Amino acid sequence: MSQSFVKVAGLTKRFGPQTAVNAVSLDVVERQTLALLGPSGCGKTTILRCLAGLEKPESGSIEIDGEVVFDGERGINLMPEQRRLGIVFQSYAVWPHMTVAENVGFPLKVRKVAKPEMRARVTRILELVGLGAVIDKPATQLSGGQQQRVALARALVHEPRLVLFDEPMSNLDAQLREQVRLELKVLQARLGFTAIYVTHDQSEAFALADQIIIMNRGHIEASGPPKAIFHAPQTPFVARFLGLNALEGSVARTTTAEGASYAEVAVKGLRIWGRVGNGAALRIGDPVVACVRREHVGVGPVKSSRTASDEPPLQSFAGKVRTSSFLGLAEEFSVEVGNVELRAVQPYLGTLSGDVEVTIYPDHCIVLADSYLDGRPG
Amino acid sequence: MATVTQGTAETGRAEAGAKTSRRPVLRLTMQWIIPAAAVLVGLILVAGPIVSTIWRSLLGSDNGFVDFTLANYSGLLFDRSVREGAANTILTGLGVTLLSSLLGCTLAWIIARTDLPGRRTFEIVNLIPFFFSPYVGAMSWLYLAAPNSGILTKLIQPATGGWLSMPNIYSVGGVVWVLSLFYTPYIYLFVIGPMRSMDGALEDAARVHGAGFWTTTRAITIPLLLPSLMSGALIVFVTSAGLFDVPMSIAAPKGIHMIPTDIFKAVQYPTDFGRASALAAIMMLVTIGFVVIQQRYLKRRRFDTVSGKGYRPRPVQLRWVGKTLAMGIQILYFLTAAVLPIMALLMVSLSPLWTGVFRPASATLSNFNYVLFDYSLAQSALANSLFIATVGATLGVGLGGLQAYFVRRQSSRLSGFIEPILSLPIGIPGIIIGLGFLILLIRTPLYSTIWIIVIACVAHFFPMALRNISAMLLSINPELEQSARASGANWAQSMRLVLLPLLLPALTASWLLLFIILIRELGASILLYAQGTETLSVAIVVLSDQNFGYVAALAVIQVAMLLLGFFMMRRNGAAFLGRQS
Repeated sequence: MSQSFVKVAGLTKRFGPQTAVNAVSLDVVERQTLALLGPSGCGKTTILRCLAGLEKPESGSIEIDGEVVFDGERGINLMPEQRRLGIVFQSYAVWPHMTVAENVGFPLKVRKVAKPEMRARVTRILELVGLGAVIDKPATQLSGGQQQRVALARALVHEPRLVLFDEPMSNLDAQLREQVRLELKVLQARLGFTAIYVTHDQSEAFALADQIIIMNRGHIEASGPPKAIFHAPQTPFVARFLGLNALEGSVARTTTAEGASYAEVAVKGLRIWGRVGNGAALRIGDPVVACVRREHVGVGPVKSSRTASDEPPLQSFAGKVRTSSFLGLAEEFSVEVGNVELRAVQPYLGTLSGDVEVTIYPDHCIVLADSYLDGRPG
Repeated sequence: MATVTQGTAETGRAEAGAKTSRRPVLRLTMQWIIPAAAVLVGLILVAGPIVSTIWRSLLGSDNGFVDFTLANYSGLLFDRSVREGAANTILTGLGVTLLSSLLGCTLAWIIARTDLPGRRTFEIVNLIPFFFSPYVGAMSWLYLAAPNSGILTKLIQPATGGWLSMPNIYSVGGVVWVLSLFYTPYIYLFVIGPMRSMDGALEDAARVHGAGFWTTTRAITIPLLLPSLMSGALIVFVTSAGLFDVPMSIAAPKGIHMIPTDIFKAVQYPTDFGRASALAAIMMLVTIGFVVIQQRYLKRRRFDTVSGKGYRPRPVQLRWVGKTLAMGIQILYFLTAAVLPIMALLMVSLSPLWTGVFRPASATLSNFNYVLFDYSLAQSALANSLFIATVGATLGVGLGGLQAYFVRRQSSRLSGFIEPILSLPIGIPGIIIGLGFLILLIRTPLYSTIWIIVIACVAHFFPMALRNISAMLLSINPELEQSARASGANWAQSMRLVLLPLLLPALTASWLLLFIILIRELGASILLYAQGTETLSVAIVVLSDQNFGYVAALAVIQVAMLLLGFFMMRRNGAAFLGRQS
């Protein structure tokens, strides 16, 4: 079992009456990347700033590489400059009155590194990020992508043990984003730093992280490796955040088949069977949310005969296409089934409109206990 | 009037977008003529006094012959009092710039970057001195600190047993002191905006990567704020050095030479326009030079510290030492710049006979009574000032607004150098503009009327309206007006229904600002007034060596009017006070 490189326990941060971070605990393994994912206002950036020492939490403790940098009870709170970290901001925060070399060399300069050594290290890191040619240019003459790399080089030049990233890619275009993503992975493997990455972009988080934490209004909704979270969302909030259809309803029937529990969910004029997701023991009448990926909602022309049964084979429903968007290889539909709206994405089969048949396998529908309302902690 | 291409507006509805991107060189519609005319008028108002001053300074006499000579300038060179005056003027400029920069930056930093309680109140309070008339400010400090009869002087001397005494206010130092109090809000406004909106990440990046608080301030914060400060300091230097009001009150009575008052003296009997215009020409060229440097400097070294995805810097949490210090500085400034002067004025104005000590028992409103109801000069001065301020503000906003429209909507090529040229008068001292118009119009029927004062005032201050409105226009997307045109409105309608409502805050704010500035204007009006056209400020100066009580009462009335204007501006949303750059 690998040691936790970063240990956060019971971290709470309030801004006036609002609790931005609510008793959050997390661990990061050395040399791994943790992604903090979530919508605006969920507290992910606040946690990052607490780690950096830019915000003072109300309570909790933070330990980095065995050193306690914050402990509410013991009154320990190291200043940002004492924590030996690196940080890349969303706005890059490249200093306009300095050259690239002066920007990148700053962490070394304040550590009183000798000039020749400073120059050598700055040159080395700039070459690693592909900016060797602009080393003495004024920072204002760089493009956005270049500025981002300067920020990155500056965060790495002093070989920090932990590097924090606050949505550093949001200003880059899609192509550049992919490129930088790959380079980050390479850099991390090479330089061996641990990274905590804040983002609202799911694909970015899934691509970069070894561990993902999804946050919602100050508390952790889900935590785990990307594949686990992706395939098995544990709460309705996570399911919605990942873009699944989420239908609120209540349990009408339950059954088991091949060792797995299934439940039939009654949703406004619709009854749908699904696999029980978060291991809860569901009883009839319990509020639940039935979640289906868009890719698992089949839309096709109406068939002349329909079959319905109690057991879980393919379920079909009558639906009406509201809108459809051509996505190139695929097509996206908004279909009205009963009184609910479902989103579906499937390979382009030809024009479909008006009345259609919607098909969903029960195994593709995840039934989650709705212990929250609107994702708020109950 | 609207002619040739009016038809294209109607037929071109669907093509409105395409039409506006294809700028024909000359289109004789109302849309073009009116703003262009405003620009032309502006250029004349700018060039008029400059040209007339330089022209007259090269003439040997007033008798209509064109006899060029450099005698006026050489006469200055060999005049010791002029050398002394120049030295004093430069010293004043430097002193004021340094002191007001120090104070202004400190106050701005306290308000923008710390968590001092009461910041909101102090924010308002710090701007109050901005609305005082400098002459009245100087007068009140004379009441406070005159060597023997000053209110404070009389308090301090006995209290400290005589070893601590009031420095002599009748000195260049006294001029610097009063002017600094008056100019601190200028610097404050120049730097507080950038301080507030600077991307907090710029400092946080330094902190996380190893720099402590003071290192960060030194290496990051100060260098980034320096351009704004320098920009403000340059303007403060020239305008403080060229201000007539305070030297007239403090330096002139004791024979201390300063250029603005020397110009004034040269116009008094026996009039020597040659000397006056030579002095003015030199000063004017220096100030124009500074203004040009400031405009260039801004262009080259403005750092974009504001980025879209940045965040406001976190306030510095002050501990009790810091809190006491900050609070102390704020309160001290408020006292010396606002409270003490007003108190002094009130004391003197409420005393039937001023001897240096206020006796509440004998307080009376008789001075006010006399000034408001019995003294015809005061009454006509009040009426004149209100007239000049109202008409002048309206003309100034009208001109400035049309010019701003021209610069921002009609000609991007020309605007590059039209706006800087039209902005020149801001740096030129009022007394020089007054002299310029005096020389220009002395043989015309406008001389000795109230209109010559109106013209000079408008010429001096329309650039303020231009700048404010231009800044606002920059932030209004032209597509709003273009949509109106595309929907079928003609130019006049799109102006009335779309642009004017959006511009209203800037127009109102500029009007109020101009109104306030014109109520307290002195430099131009002191040269251009005649019997019957005295302004409030002129009346105060004229009354100065007479009854203290009357003049103080008049001053209190002026202060009340200015403060009223100030509070009206705040209610209107005086965000435009911040657009000095």
